[in-house]
Amino acid sequence: MIVEETLVQELKTKHTQAQAFEVLVNTYKERLYWQIRGIVLNHDDADDVLQNTFIKIYRNIDGFKGDSQLFSWMYRIATNEALSFIKQRARMQGITDVDYQEKLVSNLQADVFFEGDEIQLKLQQAIATLPEKQKLVFNMKYFQELKYEEISKILDTSVGGLKASYHLAVKKVEQYLKTD
Amino acid sequence: MNKNNKIPFKTPQGYFDSFEDRLMDKLSTEENFMPKAKGFTVPDNYFETFNDKLKGKLNNEPKVIQLYPVKKILAFAASVAAIAIIFLGYNWNSTEELSISALANTDIEAYFENNEFDLTSYEIAEVLPFTDTEFSNMLNSSIENENILDYLSDNTIDFEELNLQDNE
Repeated sequence: MIVEETLVQELKTKHTQAQAFEVLVNTYKERLYWQIRGIVLNHDDADDVLQNTFIKIYRNIDGFKGDSQLFSWMYRIATNEALSFIKQRARMQGITDVDYQEKLVSNLQADVFFEGDEIQLKLQQAIATLPEKQKLVFNMKYFQELKYEEISKILDTSVGGLKASYHLAVKKVEQYLKTD
Repeated sequence: MNKNNKIPFKTPQGYFDSFEDRLMDKLSTEENFMPKAKGFTVPDNYFETFNDKLKGKLNNEPKVIQLYPVKKILAFAASVAAIAIIFLGYNWNSTEELSISALANTDIEAYFENNEFDLTSYEIAEVLPFTDTEFSNMLNSSIENENILDYLSDNTIDFEELNLQDNE
């Protein structure tokens, strides 16, 4: 386990920077990838966003004040990058975010990097119908099994609010899976 | 094996010696962050080759793209607002709905939306925490002529477009 403070210090020091960044990428790339993939769904897009996320982290590490954990800071950047990617794409195609999300899910069937069965596809369809916040919380809690305290730091929301969001999200997903 | 005679339990031979290995094995399988039953996969060796790809991209990108300093953004936003005011100045007093705050919000928002800053709105918000009060402070403060001239010379292709004669 790496000591976060040391790593941050090394990242801010010129001659240790490159090596420390490599450690950072190796430690967090998979976790950040799955966070991003849960939002953009498609692998190539997730790859783009993940690279941009690390580039942003690299450029802005000097601005990292240490008042939040490195982990939640990076998660926040990844989440925001993924969300703005979706919004940008939707705008480029002249459709709403919701329509774009639905399109993403309908593309999953033809996606070579999606091997989910019918129920998993349906689960993705259900998630696509959720409001943004609930979608994020659901992905982070259900799939990535993050703790409420961690999600709270990443999304800057109270634990109580998150529990409510998650509860609502689960209810809606269940409802969707039962009826359709 | 049992060093403490008060405890009548025994452990299998070599239990503590091999404990660490077994724990590490278990940890490494559990450290797989692949989400449960999600159905998504990644190309072979994607994570292994990711670092090299990232390095290539980092080296190819233009070196310094710093976050815009607050002053620069303020001057910029103020210039945008000023331009908006100049262009829409004619109707200023006649239409009630065109309040300063509504005009500035939509125009500035549109400006930021239509121009590529390589900044997410979140990042802009981080360096520039707009509140209603700050917005009106900014709009009420006078704008240096220099800023307006700079903005115009940087952003105006055709000076005729400005219709300067009409305003003289």
